[in-house]
Amino acid sequence: MMPESLFMGAMILLFLSATLTMIRMLIGPTIPDRVVALDALTTTTAGAMVLYGVITEQAVIIDVALVYAVLSYIATLYIARYLVKRRVGLA
Amino acid sequence: MNFENFFWILQIFIAIGLVGSSIAAIRFKNLIAAVIAMAVFSLALSVEFYVLQAPDVAIAEAGVGAGLTTAMYLLAIKNTTDEEVVE
Repeated sequence: MMPESLFMGAMILLFLSATLTMIRMLIGPTIPDRVVALDALTTTTAGAMVLYGVITEQAVIIDVALVYAVLSYIATLYIARYLVKRRVGLA
Repeated sequence: MNFENFFWILQIFIAIGLVGSSIAAIRFKNLIAAVIAMAVFSLALSVEFYVLQAPDVAIAEAGVGAGLTTAMYLLAIKNTTDEEVVE
């Protein structure tokens, strides 16, 4: 009973830090601030997804965290590439 | 802390994220900032599907929201004229 309560507290703290990061995304003055805030928010939420899979004892739904980590990496790469070169795509 | 209270605390956090990011996606004048706010909205919606025990829908939402729409919106912004992008 006790480790589940610890996991629940850790997940609530992760969501609190995600909320603070989202405040930075809302009030960030420049675009790179918002991009870094998006990346940190996605990483924090992937960790929270893994903790939720541990709490509910369902190993299947941890795959969502894996897929979201890979895809958010691609999204951040696209935005960074647009900001640097004003050009997206593979070339 | 039992699971019931924990579930409703999570629902409150996800609701704050959904409402805040959707209002930001509407109100931002910079198009890149609006795309980033849409990515955050998709993330919160995926977490909501995840908490409601629908992991396949969450995987589909993650693929469409994080990978596909961000790339397609950036391609569309690149192909429009520069007067619309306020730096």
